[in-house]
Amino acid sequence: MTAIARMRTGWNRANRRGDLSAAALALAPAIVLFALFNIYPLLYSGYLSVMEWDGFSPDKEYVGLDNYKALYESAMFRNALTVTFTYTVGTTLLGVAFSLLVAVLLNSGIRGQNIYRLVYFLPVVTSTVAAAVVWRYLMNPGSGYADVLLRDLGLTPPSPSWLRNPDWALRIVILVGVWKRLGFNIVIYLAGLQNIPKEYYEAATVDGAGSWDRFRRITVPLIAPITLLLIIMSIIDSFLIFDVVYVMTDGGPIGTTEVVGLLLYRQAFRYFNLGTASAMGWVIFAIVFVITLIQWKFFGAREAGL
Amino acid sequence: MKRLFLVLAIITVLVVAPVLHSTGAIRPASAQEPVKLTFWNYWDGKNGETIQALVDRYNAEHPDVEIENVFVGWNELLPKLQLAVAGGDRPDLAAADMVWMPYLAKSGALVPLDSFVEASAIAIDDFYPALLNVNTYDDQMYGLPVSTNNLELFINTDLVAAAGLDPATPPTTWAELMDYATQCANPDEGIVGMELYTQTGEGLTWQYQVYLWQAGGDFLSEDLSQAAFNSDAGLRALQYWLDLIDAGAYAISDWGLFGQGQACMVMDGSWMVGIWADTAPFEWTTAQMPYPEDGEPATNMGGEHIFIMSDDEARQQAAWDFIQWVTSAEVQLEWDMETGFMPIRDSVATNPDFQTWIEENEPRLMPFVEMQQYAHNRPPVEQYSELSDVFSAMIERAIYGQMSPQEALDAAAAAVNSLLR
Repeated sequence: MTAIARMRTGWNRANRRGDLSAAALALAPAIVLFALFNIYPLLYSGYLSVMEWDGFSPDKEYVGLDNYKALYESAMFRNALTVTFTYTVGTTLLGVAFSLLVAVLLNSGIRGQNIYRLVYFLPVVTSTVAAAVVWRYLMNPGSGYADVLLRDLGLTPPSPSWLRNPDWALRIVILVGVWKRLGFNIVIYLAGLQNIPKEYYEAATVDGAGSWDRFRRITVPLIAPITLLLIIMSIIDSFLIFDVVYVMTDGGPIGTTEVVGLLLYRQAFRYFNLGTASAMGWVIFAIVFVITLIQWKFFGAREAGL
Repeated sequence: MKRLFLVLAIITVLVVAPVLHSTGAIRPASAQEPVKLTFWNYWDGKNGETIQALVDRYNAEHPDVEIENVFVGWNELLPKLQLAVAGGDRPDLAAADMVWMPYLAKSGALVPLDSFVEASAIAIDDFYPALLNVNTYDDQMYGLPVSTNNLELFINTDLVAAAGLDPATPPTTWAELMDYATQCANPDEGIVGMELYTQTGEGLTWQYQVYLWQAGGDFLSEDLSQAAFNSDAGLRALQYWLDLIDAGAYAISDWGLFGQGQACMVMDGSWMVGIWADTAPFEWTTAQMPYPEDGEPATNMGGEHIFIMSDDEARQQAAWDFIQWVTSAEVQLEWDMETGFMPIRDSVATNPDFQTWIEENEPRLMPFVEMQQYAHNRPPVEQYSELSDVFSAMIERAIYGQMSPQEALDAAAAAVNSLLR
């Protein structure tokens, strides 16, 4: 080897070692924090889930899989799962579909696009609790703006009130959930839409395709990886919903908005059954994990090839 | 290598520095420095101002102690106590809902008070026994009552007079209450006759218990091992609520109508007397809660108990000194006069100055004072919070018409029994 070549290989080897240790150092703080605040609590709650502990006393009692069995037999937990599934499907479908529509409209070159993006994104950065409190006031019978407006438009609100009607309470909560995430989905879709080459649309128009055809056959397929991503994110996020429900309905009326997040909070912090709450947490984790896995396998494999 | 060492040194300093700072702050109290105690409670509004004034006065009179009065909302106090115990920064003393006392006493996080009580010659027999019951676990006392209250009838005299009824003759039986409420209710204007608490939670349970006890029933069996509310008395009480709804005297809504001037009557606590005296935009009065003609007078009681959590002996003693002071008859007299809390000690209740003071300053407190002797305490079981939630969830279903009252009570009994096992 020439001297220069030898130097170059030497440099490469040295750089690789240097690169590795630099990378490790750079990642170390993040890894340490992640391990401390994510991995450790995860494992500890797994440990708690086979115990019975009230959070205060120094002794914990080993109960094996009793907590999991109790959850399996609990009608309350089953109801919570149903409610949470309904909420998740509702917010995901409505949220993703509606945001795609809005993103396409925004992308069509109308003026003031930035202002629209700001307005849609504001709910995303608003505190969920603050937003939920305001929404609760808006739906107040007789005095809330939304309730009054709908009455003026001729709609009779359900009895006794929007949030205390067993059929409507969950729908309102879903509405707030969709509203909250809309901007986030729109912004991501906009970025994706801008990556679709304009030539495809021009070619399609030349071939005589109408706007619906262009949307269905060009936009939707090409935007599919983003759709998949947004659906997965929305499902994970919606399954864990807690603050909106806690503030607006506290699980009522008659358990129609009682999501698993709420049950978990009550078990842990009102009834002090930390073992049950931990088991619940792990069951929720398992469910979300399986759903995500299924989605990725069935829909992701195709898109990954793109 | 040098760079690696430098980076590691920086990381170490960043991680260790906060820990060093906090350990530096914990120094043993020197002879001149006052013992600093933190006192958590959920008293707000007038109650919060009063306790702050009392704490300030105690600090001024006892320069060797400095108590910091910290407000923590009712919803957050119990979770915060739990986190504080786990995290190691527990308050030295706290005052919490009497309903939590069985759980807290059993938890091992509280300091037993028997030795303090014996050493300090406090007149323990002066306290109402029902109040001391909830603090006792394993024959040891873990707290003292510091305030109590009960539920009676509030009447919006403006609305009642507008409906053509006489505010000077309030209802005294369930039948009269039904008539009064139905006449006064005005659904078109959103006015209900008698406000009930109909959301899942302790608010519903503890209101229902009053009607249950008035009808002669019990919530749990005497040995606290199973539900007793699915009896005839229990059914009668629930049916009365459903009758009120059917008659139009109440329409399901969120709690708080009376304070907004949209309910003719409500059963609420003595603490609201002080609050509504200041803030209600309407005229109102109080009366003893009506009970069925073949039933008995009864009411529910709540209140706070004060306990010690510190694990340092000097601070425990300082905390006990404050507790002894704040539960003494003299301070309690003042406390009750400022806040409208009910007496926890017989000597305060029978104090003629107290009675005269009430008649002269706030006669609307009289029904509460007179009825305190009929107050029942809620079952002192540690699962009470969960019991209350599952019970009220079933009752709510009956109120929404999803279950018949008997079905709801039976379902609630089954759920409660499985929790008590």
